[in-house]
Amino acid sequence: MGTIHLFRKPQRSFFGKLLREFRLVAADRRSWKILLFGVINLICTGFLLMWCSSTNSIALTAYTYLTIFDLFSLMTCLISYWVTMRKPSPVYSFGFERLEVLAVFASTVLAQLGALFILKESAERFLEQPEIHTGRLLVGTFVALSFNLFTMLSIRNKPFAYVSEAASTSWLQEHVADLSRSLCGIIPGLSSVFLPRMNPFVLIDLAGAFALCITYMLIEINNYFAVDTASAIAIALMTFGTMYPMSVYSGKVLLQTTPPHVIGQLDKLIREAGSVHVRIRRDANEQMVLAHVTNRLYTLVSTLTVQIFKDDWIRPALLSGPVAANVLNFTDHHIIPMPLLKGADDLNPVTSTPAKPSSPPPEFSFNTPGKNVNPVILLNTQTRPYGFGLNHGHTPYSNMLNQGLGVPGIGATQGLRTGFTNIPSRYGTNNRIGQPRP
Amino acid sequence: KKKKKKRKERKFPGSKRGGLTLTKYIVLLCFTKFLKAVGLFESYDLLKAVHIVQFIFILKLGTAFFMVLFQKPFSSGKTITKHQWIKIFKHAVAGCIISLLWFFGLTLCGPLRTLLLFEHSDIVVISLLSVLFTSSGGGPAKTRGAAFFIIAVICLLLFDNDDLMAKMAEHPEGHHDSALTHMLYTAIAFLGVADHKGGVLLLVLALCCKVGFHTASRKLSIDVGGAKRLQALSHLVSVLLLCPWVIVLSVTTESKVESWFSLIMPFATVIFFVMILDFYVDSICSVKMEVSKCARYGSFPIFISALLFGNFWTHPITDQLRAMNKAAHQESTEHVLSGGVVVSAIFFILSANILSSPSKRGQKGTLIGYSPEGTPLYNFMGDAFQHSSQSIPRFIKESLKQILEESDSRQIFYFLCLNLLFTFVELFYGVLTNSLGLISDGFHMLFDCSALVMGLFAALMSRWKATRIFSYGYGRIEILSGFINGLFLIVIAFFVFMESVARLIDPPELDTHMLTPVSVGGLIVNLIGICAFSHAHSHAHGASQGSCHSSDHSHSHHMHGHSDHGHGHSHGSAGGGMNANMRGVFLHVLADTLGSIGVIVSTILIEQFGWFIADPLCSLFIAVLIFLSVVPLIKDACQVLLLRLPPEYEKELHIALEKVLYTWWRAPVVPATWEAEVTGILKDAGVNNLTIQVEKEAYFQHMSGLSTGFHDVLAMTKQMESMKYCKDGTYIM
Repeated sequence: MGTIHLFRKPQRSFFGKLLREFRLVAADRRSWKILLFGVINLICTGFLLMWCSSTNSIALTAYTYLTIFDLFSLMTCLISYWVTMRKPSPVYSFGFERLEVLAVFASTVLAQLGALFILKESAERFLEQPEIHTGRLLVGTFVALSFNLFTMLSIRNKPFAYVSEAASTSWLQEHVADLSRSLCGIIPGLSSVFLPRMNPFVLIDLAGAFALCITYMLIEINNYFAVDTASAIAIALMTFGTMYPMSVYSGKVLLQTTPPHVIGQLDKLIREAGSVHVRIRRDANEQMVLAHVTNRLYTLVSTLTVQIFKDDWIRPALLSGPVAANVLNFTDHHIIPMPLLKGADDLNPVTSTPAKPSSPPPEFSFNTPGKNVNPVILLNTQTRPYGFGLNHGHTPYSNMLNQGLGVPGIGATQGLRTGFTNIPSRYGTNNRIGQPRP
Repeated sequence: KKKKKKRKERKFPGSKRGGLTLTKYIVLLCFTKFLKAVGLFESYDLLKAVHIVQFIFILKLGTAFFMVLFQKPFSSGKTITKHQWIKIFKHAVAGCIISLLWFFGLTLCGPLRTLLLFEHSDIVVISLLSVLFTSSGGGPAKTRGAAFFIIAVICLLLFDNDDLMAKMAEHPEGHHDSALTHMLYTAIAFLGVADHKGGVLLLVLALCCKVGFHTASRKLSIDVGGAKRLQALSHLVSVLLLCPWVIVLSVTTESKVESWFSLIMPFATVIFFVMILDFYVDSICSVKMEVSKCARYGSFPIFISALLFGNFWTHPITDQLRAMNKAAHQESTEHVLSGGVVVSAIFFILSANILSSPSKRGQKGTLIGYSPEGTPLYNFMGDAFQHSSQSIPRFIKESLKQILEESDSRQIFYFLCLNLLFTFVELFYGVLTNSLGLISDGFHMLFDCSALVMGLFAALMSRWKATRIFSYGYGRIEILSGFINGLFLIVIAFFVFMESVARLIDPPELDTHMLTPVSVGGLIVNLIGICAFSHAHSHAHGASQGSCHSSDHSHSHHMHGHSDHGHGHSHGSAGGGMNANMRGVFLHVLADTLGSIGVIVSTILIEQFGWFIADPLCSLFIAVLIFLSVVPLIKDACQVLLLRLPPEYEKELHIALEKVLYTWWRAPVVPATWEAEVTGILKDAGVNNLTIQVEKEAYFQHMSGLSTGFHDVLAMTKQMESMKYCKDGTYIM
């Protein structure tokens, strides 16, 4: 085989790599448009920031941050193109699809942090209200609004479109939906525009522009400078409301939670597969079982590994390692090891079995539910004498476990579980030793 | 009274037959509310001449007289026990206090604003409070209504430049008629708001009191035998209560009223419109109509008529309505209509309309699971069944215990407390000395505290047990929180950078004399934090402790991720240093410290040499420093979140996989012990749990036989094969 350069150290500099990847993306025609918009966005943001400092209006600043958020969303779009082109590398063995999720998360969080900053600034402004010059206020508003809307509507931003669809509704959307429901009672034709829910980005752009228009009006009429601060707070709160559900959604993906829409189906399918695992005999064809299980689950779980243990009447000593008699008749084809790093625990198949129905797969990236599912381990337990197997397997194992738990600083190993986090619910100390087997 | 009502019924015959009775009552209600507005405007004029306690006394006297006449509370109904008399006495006291507040608010901010603020029905206020203070508000519409209400009050507070405000603000504290009004005035002056704004706040308070009062007196009214009887008795008792006070007042102070005789007519109108008619019509309408409808139709006319009168009261058109001051025709500028009032009136009308509409409850169910068919099952029971109520002290105690259990959260918590203490001292001192710089610095500290709070929550949550949704546990929350903290710091660095660039171009003159003590205080607090955090940090590393030098530490924990190339088994015992969360918090504290140091250095430079350029240069430097210190944190957190292979394990895994391949090639016909062998090899590399899927020809045949979507599976397998180039037949998932 020779030497395999599995984990070659990167030799290029950071910028060189960045440039290379950028060239890769720029080769695509679709990304040209995004780049063009990004350049326009930068120019536009520069002008807006200038106007912000000349008008001294914090509401316009809050609105400008939405434009900056647009820039981030364009970047996310580029990243999603790049992700589709990249193959999984040895180090990032799961591929780069999560980068898209991370980009969405980061940009929504950044928008919220900007809003937090606006809140802090406006709290200071309430104490000492500076004078606002309305000269460029309306111009800035309409430049930002038209640019934002133009970007939103002309670029098909796949990740954000998906997140805004899948995340729960923001309070702004809820109110608009509630209002427009009564409006559509009067004019039914509008329901296609407003219901069931509007695009949150379009909504917040419009609402922010509306708040700025009111600000302009009131300052022009009666020099109510405090309106500027109030509408800045309103825009910041709307930003929070819009971004929060999305960052929660993408954060949940990053935390490897089970997507709620999969749970029910998955439970059902696992239960069906579970019925297989009860019935098979010792001499059952494990390839048949494998096929059945895969057939049930592959619609939900894109990467699935099934390991089959065939137990004999005499239970092999699992942990001492030398013999696992009659485990697999190995001939050819694929081996897919799913390794798990040493956490505090290493569970043998006996104890891992009950974990199965209660731990559906986590979501790996958007729209690919349960990419790294925990292995479904099938035991043909019918053929095994229960009490014996349990005792035998159990006693040495718990010793092992205690050793593992005795290690200090277990919590710190969390960061090292990358790429191998395949067995759910086993982090830390909650093992399922004592649970009865099905 | 009965006669009058009949007259009205004849006067407004219903236009439609179907809604005849309802329309009749609605019109009656509208008319009454209109008259009530008239009465309140009248009483404002009266209150200019008559002392407030005397005014309330006369009002109560007249009302009690009428009601005793109509209701005959002593001759009819069952007898009232002694216990009930005590309750009625309490009721009367509360009623007196509320009307005192109400009319005092009226003198402060005029009839228009009083009507807008005080004339809300109970149902509106109750649903407002339930939106504000309970989680089950009843949908977005109610929330909107509550927001409108608050906006309306804020409009009155902020955007209503009442012309009288300036006049009232400068009034001397001496000339108040009584000790009571003087006390209230001093209370408002203590709050530091103008009188008319104080009146707004007072009226909001009085409104809440009124609603509570009505709710509390409901039971008593049933006991006594009807709300009308209770009202009559309560008015009577309050007349007796106020009687001695009024006598003392009229003896000690000379009255401003020339002739009481000319006031009989205005008092009669006020008594009749404000107290009696309103009470009776309200009680009738609440019987005949739904409460929500009653509230909705009642609020609209009263606000509109308040607005109209606010504009036209001093105008000659309303001469017929006015019983008082007919002669004096001076153009009054008190409490006139302003833009803010109109806007807030609109908002009040909207919110009253929304909040009084019946709520659609029970829409929200909790997901309890899935049926065997895969359809979700919801529980529509009330929240009361779900949550066992927990008392607040107990909750605080429990969470404190949780926080103090582990060292990370304990440290963050202590430091947070210290920081908050410093912030509040700063804010308090700033308010006391009226220094804007201090207050804004306090806000800045609060802003920073939010990062600490997030770190604390993450440290707490990371210990939660894994759930069905969070099937991997909550461990990664710490990494996520570290990531967010890193982004936070980048944002801060960005803002500092922008600010300092702007100042470089145009360096402002600084007032430095307040900066030094504050920044020294902040520096001390932050140094304590750094010492605490880095103590734990260096302890985990076994490095030298006690040195609080910042760059040393930021460097060392940057390095640690790569330096730990030891054997996989030993890694757990090394502790791994700080987790991402603690690193984020630590860096935050570090950035604050740098900020304080920067301020001190630049202050010294400015004071010694007059280099105003030093301030932006310092902040520029700090911004760059913050950014550079955050980059490794963000990079590491990103790698973990992207599920990268841990760098420490790369080499071992590589070797282990090579070994596996070697076993594979050594024996094409795999022996039975192969699996154990592979497990052993990978275990040496630190991989403890692995799953092996063996696919043979038969598997693909079965799959093609089983499923229609076999191509998907084939594609899946193809995807695995795509990794062949780097792994040579072995796939790592």
